[in-house]
Amino acid sequence: MPEKIVTLDVREDIRNGREPFSKIMSAVAELHADENLLLLAPFEPKPLFGLLTRQGFNHLAREMENGDWEILFSRSRGDEALIEKPEIPKPKTDQSLLTSAPTKMIEVDARGLEPPQPMVKILETLASLPHGAALRARTDRRPMHLYAQLEARGFTGQTEEQNDGSFLTIIKSR
Amino acid sequence: MEVSLPLSNRVEPSKREALKPKNNSPVQPFNISTASIALPLSFILAGLLALFTGASWLVLQPEILAAYHYNANAIAATHLFALGWLCSVVMGAMYQLVPVALETKLFSERLAKIQFVFHIVGFVGMVLAFRVWNMKFVAAFGSIFAIGVALFIYNVARTLLRIPKWNVIAAAVASALGWILLTVSAGLLIASAKTGHANFMFHFNPIGAMHAHAHLGTLGFFIMLIVGVSYKLIPMFTLSEIQNHRRALVSVILLNVGLAGSFVSILLQLVVKPLFALIIVAAFVIYGREMTAILRARKRRALDWGVRYFLTAIALLAPLSILALILSWPKLPLNPFTGQLENVYGFVAFVGVISFAVIGMLYKIIPFLVWFGIYSKHIGCTQVPALAEMVSEKLQRLGYGIFLTALAVTIFGILFSNAMAVRIGSAFFAASLTTLALNVGKILSHYFQPKLAPLAAPKNYDRNKN
Repeated sequence: MPEKIVTLDVREDIRNGREPFSKIMSAVAELHADENLLLLAPFEPKPLFGLLTRQGFNHLAREMENGDWEILFSRSRGDEALIEKPEIPKPKTDQSLLTSAPTKMIEVDARGLEPPQPMVKILETLASLPHGAALRARTDRRPMHLYAQLEARGFTGQTEEQNDGSFLTIIKSR
Repeated sequence: MEVSLPLSNRVEPSKREALKPKNNSPVQPFNISTASIALPLSFILAGLLALFTGASWLVLQPEILAAYHYNANAIAATHLFALGWLCSVVMGAMYQLVPVALETKLFSERLAKIQFVFHIVGFVGMVLAFRVWNMKFVAAFGSIFAIGVALFIYNVARTLLRIPKWNVIAAAVASALGWILLTVSAGLLIASAKTGHANFMFHFNPIGAMHAHAHLGTLGFFIMLIVGVSYKLIPMFTLSEIQNHRRALVSVILLNVGLAGSFVSILLQLVVKPLFALIIVAAFVIYGREMTAILRARKRRALDWGVRYFLTAIALLAPLSILALILSWPKLPLNPFTGQLENVYGFVAFVGVISFAVIGMLYKIIPFLVWFGIYSKHIGCTQVPALAEMVSEKLQRLGYGIFLTALAVTIFGILFSNAMAVRIGSAFFAASLTTLALNVGKILSHYFQPKLAPLAAPKNYDRNKN
């Protein structure tokens, strides 16, 4: 069954400082069952991936020659043939992009805050995390509510108790 | 006690040995997620409904409290408060809090959902059966309720077996599980004795048995959990820490010892009753000292209303302790006045201490559950409301004042068997609960109308960072 592709270009919006989130989500909501979404953005919109995965979409992200990104969101149904769509020539998967040389560490100190502020602080920092970097978050308690949120956004976190009783969580892309 | 991480519990014991070295690592495995919010919220909303029913019932029938409590309506109303309101809320909150506070995952959410059905059918049936004083139905619905409690105990106990590190909170939760098992067993035995079964129960004085049963549930389950959980939550909400872990543990141990002795001495009406009451009071004194130390060391000076409700409630443990010491005196004559003093004792324990503390905690838990359920997935993508914006402080302040007024007026009415004063007190009580209902409505409105706004500065879309 041939599938149609709806293209949404948010590059101008973002360059003009407009928030594209609601535009993207309404485009997703209007997709028919046999339609996929091709998103054009000036960077890799990581926060979207987790959200749309939960709505049942796969994504294939590719950096274009001018530095912009194109991302194909398709409904997950285990149909691997989608990857060979002519519109997306030889896309690299998200996974292969992530394995390339990462090690910049961003620090967040979320101690001395009442829940849920530590989680908010960490997730907000995560949203602007440079590609390939990892996050070191310090908290007063083991961040029990954080893990599922990280997973939904395509990250993993590992927590270790420190000698001073605080907790250190290292957060990386999956 | 063997402590193990969640991973190891799914492995048969024979294979567990091989995994051990891995589990000694302080790194938490990543398969931890928190239970859904619908489950605790269902229990909590059912509990609030029972609380409103109970308060309205007292307005309509103030004689329940203005007369001695060994009668059908008083026992039915007590079970509506204890099982319908307190057990529902406490159990629902525990399914959410125990895994988070003890850093593990709930053993089974499915079992908890099944318990919900047994719980609702069981307590509604029990209250109605008590009201018409049909002990066969009490025993039947009591058994249904007990199946729910058994599922609860099994589920929480299996969760406790997974926790990585035992502490005073885990000890209190484990104790509470033991006490609720005893409470329910004792209750079922009393009911069977009244249907002509369990004949050995005739060796016991029925009022002694009833009071022993009531103390097991009140002190062993509700107050034990309030003490244990507050060692986690009060430091969390006031930005402090437990100041002396040993002192905290001693308070829980003394509470257990005092309750075990009190149970036996109340049941058998022994002269050593005051001694065990004194041990429990000592537990409260030590608890109070640790709480004071925690509060002194807090980094956040201002206390929010949820915490104020809670701290006021536990301060009421002081007058409750004095009443307990007086009533435990073996030579105390049972006359109409001391009978009403017993009613005051039960009322202060249930409403002044436990209900007030639970309402305070609900003011922290319900906003968090709803906020987390609706907004957590949007953090970093859009602007989400702050937790404090979800409740009206004005209503909380109003509810606090009315609650304390209700308490004073009702106690006066009970003490002097004045039904009109009990009715007015109960009406104040219902008014205070209305402020709670309005606030819960305000919180739940986020469900139907999430308040999301675009991020002020779209920093997450800054391409230079990529």
